[in-house]
Amino acid sequence: MPASRSTRIALYVYGVLVIFFLYLPLVSVAFASVSRARYLSFPIKRYSTKWYGEALESSTVSDLLTTSLSVAVLVTVISVVIAFFGALAFARYQWRYRTTFQKLILLPIFFPQTVLGLALLMWFNSLGVIPSWKTAVVAHLVWIAPIATLIVAIRAYSFDPALEEAARDMGAGTWTILREITLPLLMPGLVSAGLFAFLLSWGNFPLSLFTTGADSTLPEWLYAKMVSGYSPLVPTLGVMSVVGSFLLILTALAVAWLIRANREARAAQN
Amino acid sequence: MNTLDRKLGFLSSLPLTVVLLASFLAPMVVVALFSIMPAKVFSLANMPDFSAYSVFFSQGYYKSLLWSLGMALASTAILLLVCWPLAYGMAKVFGRFTLVLTIAVVMSLFVSENIRLFGWVLTLMKGGLIEGHFRAFTGVGFESPLYGVGIIVFGLVYVYLPFMLFPLAQGIAMVPDDTRQAAYDLGATRWQVLWQIEVPLAAPGIVVGSLLSFVLAAGALAESKILGGQAVIAIADDIETAFTFGQNWPLGSALSMILIVIIGGLALFGVSKVDLDAIMGRKR
Amino acid sequence: MSGQALLRLEGIVKKFGDFTALDGIDLDINEGEFFTIVGPSGSGKSTLIRLLVGMDDVTSGEIRLNGARIDQTPANLRPTCMVFQSLALFPHMSVGQNIEFPLKLRKEDPAARRTRALELLDLLRLPRDYYDKRISQCSGGERQRVALARALAFDPEILFFDEPLSALDYRLRKTLEKELKDLHARTGKTFVYITHSLEEAMVMSDRIAIMKDGRFEQIAVADEIYGQPVSRFVAEFMGEVNLFALDTGTDGTLSSDILSIREGARLSAVTPGASGLLMVRPEYVRFAETGESYDFTLSGKLHGEYALGSRIQYELETPAGMVTVEKLREDRLSAREGDDIAIGFNADVTHFIGDTP
Repeated sequence: MPASRSTRIALYVYGVLVIFFLYLPLVSVAFASVSRARYLSFPIKRYSTKWYGEALESSTVSDLLTTSLSVAVLVTVISVVIAFFGALAFARYQWRYRTTFQKLILLPIFFPQTVLGLALLMWFNSLGVIPSWKTAVVAHLVWIAPIATLIVAIRAYSFDPALEEAARDMGAGTWTILREITLPLLMPGLVSAGLFAFLLSWGNFPLSLFTTGADSTLPEWLYAKMVSGYSPLVPTLGVMSVVGSFLLILTALAVAWLIRANREARAAQN
Repeated sequence: MNTLDRKLGFLSSLPLTVVLLASFLAPMVVVALFSIMPAKVFSLANMPDFSAYSVFFSQGYYKSLLWSLGMALASTAILLLVCWPLAYGMAKVFGRFTLVLTIAVVMSLFVSENIRLFGWVLTLMKGGLIEGHFRAFTGVGFESPLYGVGIIVFGLVYVYLPFMLFPLAQGIAMVPDDTRQAAYDLGATRWQVLWQIEVPLAAPGIVVGSLLSFVLAAGALAESKILGGQAVIAIADDIETAFTFGQNWPLGSALSMILIVIIGGLALFGVSKVDLDAIMGRKR
Repeated sequence: MSGQALLRLEGIVKKFGDFTALDGIDLDINEGEFFTIVGPSGSGKSTLIRLLVGMDDVTSGEIRLNGARIDQTPANLRPTCMVFQSLALFPHMSVGQNIEFPLKLRKEDPAARRTRALELLDLLRLPRDYYDKRISQCSGGERQRVALARALAFDPEILFFDEPLSALDYRLRKTLEKELKDLHARTGKTFVYITHSLEEAMVMSDRIAIMKDGRFEQIAVADEIYGQPVSRFVAEFMGEVNLFALDTGTDGTLSSDILSIREGARLSAVTPGASGLLMVRPEYVRFAETGESYDFTLSGKLHGEYALGSRIQYELETPAGMVTVEKLREDRLSAREGDDIAIGFNADVTHFIGDTP
């Protein structure tokens, strides 16, 4: 039974309200970032971009960005490689411990990240490894690689296993099949997994908190300043981090859209 | 299930399995071992005892655990109510708007949760976005709702909304339209359709969504710290304090173990109940 | 290599856990033959073809191609090729790239590949400018042809087909069945085809194997399977059929509880003393006018009349259950439902299926 007109309208309004609710706090942060006053109160009396100038000049900020970026890039690259194979084991190949494997990789996602971070801290300590941004990469991977795997797995489910069988039937070996058939077909999934991995690592705080040692990522620094010793740079850096993420997503969406438009245009020509 | 598939399946699972064994299961073992060490040691080379666990009861840490579980339960229940209509809309009513909504919700996930919670502080505090403007217009202010149990639950609902919404929408999408139509045809009321048809058929999505929200909320830290002030202490907060200020790894480990057993038990129970292949859209 | 089978299966068994999907299959397929395996779903025909191309492993038994064992050879090293049910065309490649795929794997140079692909497009009567089309731009019938072209580019010793026409609509299927038969004649290749559709098998095949519960019930040319089925299963699987219980005496006399049998009527090629089923196809049953005499007669009430296009099917309620009769449209009967009608047929249009002891 199609929903009645009034129900439909109510649902749309509700959807818009939820989006508003999700983004309202970011609006506050955005306003706060352009307030001139050191101690913020609304309504904002004088607007200024002076904190942005300070943030860009600060060496602390550039250190934070470098650390966050290094972690995120490494996590992305490793996650995508792991996820490519992991997704095939998850969704494609029929092997004995497949369902066990599926459940194993869900566990870290269900796990409280703070506890995971602390557990890793003790583990690194027992191994004699001194925590730094590199250990944070490992910590992020525990949570992000399974998520990336799930994303690629969704794609792996949707393609016909007969494609690989057909290639094998025509003489292709395992590596050739992976390169010529599987990789191109999973590519959209790999790209979104990479995007997710980067952004989740970029924004992660609970895992970084205990595993970065002397280094510090941007979300860690923000948290430290929020709970003690407020700095007017908090909203500024917050906005910069958010805008950076969103630009990345929008670029990705735009590229995806362009590729599709281009393909449709070519199809129309033929 | 042929030999080749079996071999390839095993091999391709290896990278992720190795990562998880070395940096998920091994650390859990370390936590378990530390939890039976005497107080305030930093090495496993000590005589085991269970003193850390007795402290859990004697020093009132169980209260934090109960608070955490209670708030997680409350936020999960609220999330179910809040997300159901929206998930229904995404699965059955909205066409292109589903994509817009999905992108909007997913994008919010990429913003560090501290920034978003901090944004709520700026929005709700005295002199914040709401109260500040309200007072500027009317001349009267009101007390900030921050720093209480209610606002922590609110924060949990806010942060974990996507974790309920997406599984729920997936679950509802699994309800075939014609079963609903058939039920209406046979004379069922709207409520009967909801309880007899939709809820049972969407159960996998409901289970996954509720489990995910509950488990994540039970182990949450930032909501109570940033929004809740010190109104109540979450168990994750106790754990962190034991490790940092307390410098008591065995206590922190024992508290972690208790949380892990509860959460892990629930998670294992939940994932063993659902067919992942069906939820994730297997075509075969 | 005359006299020797191109493909020989000996004692093929395939088990999935406790379930036996194939239970001792023996089969010879000759060079240049169009061989079809027909069976209902679950009969094991898909399992069998997957073993033949190497996508699953046999539990026991041997597969020989030109005398050489291939059952342990992986799929990518067998000189056979399959057209999949889903066609398995690569969506990320153009039509030309799909066809050239097996050639590319053999590292043939691009110019030669292209020439061969264009030849195959010609062979399958696809326009040459389809070379650059995307798979998503091709219609169902065009995709079939591309899949065939790709398989032919591989130049297999045997070309296997796993119900590739089953997803198409009726008319297109009919056209492609004929094209496939024609292609078989033009290429001279050995085709092994599996399907659940009797019609498809009848139109195209040189020989047909009927499969049931992981075994072959009968392997024969189409006419023989239709006219002389070895079992009730084959008889019923191959279309509408009437079956009557019948006993033969040691002296060759026939007796039946239901049919009236003319004095002296005999069945040739039946062991005296056997009991079993007498089969007659609906198109051989006559409506008995008064005065006409048949070896076997029976009367019943007209139950229903159904138009089947060029023919008309009648159902009669008789002591033996429903009996089906088919007539050409021009021989339409003027009786009404409920009328008493007598039917008859002679021994030469029947086939006797003896009970297996």
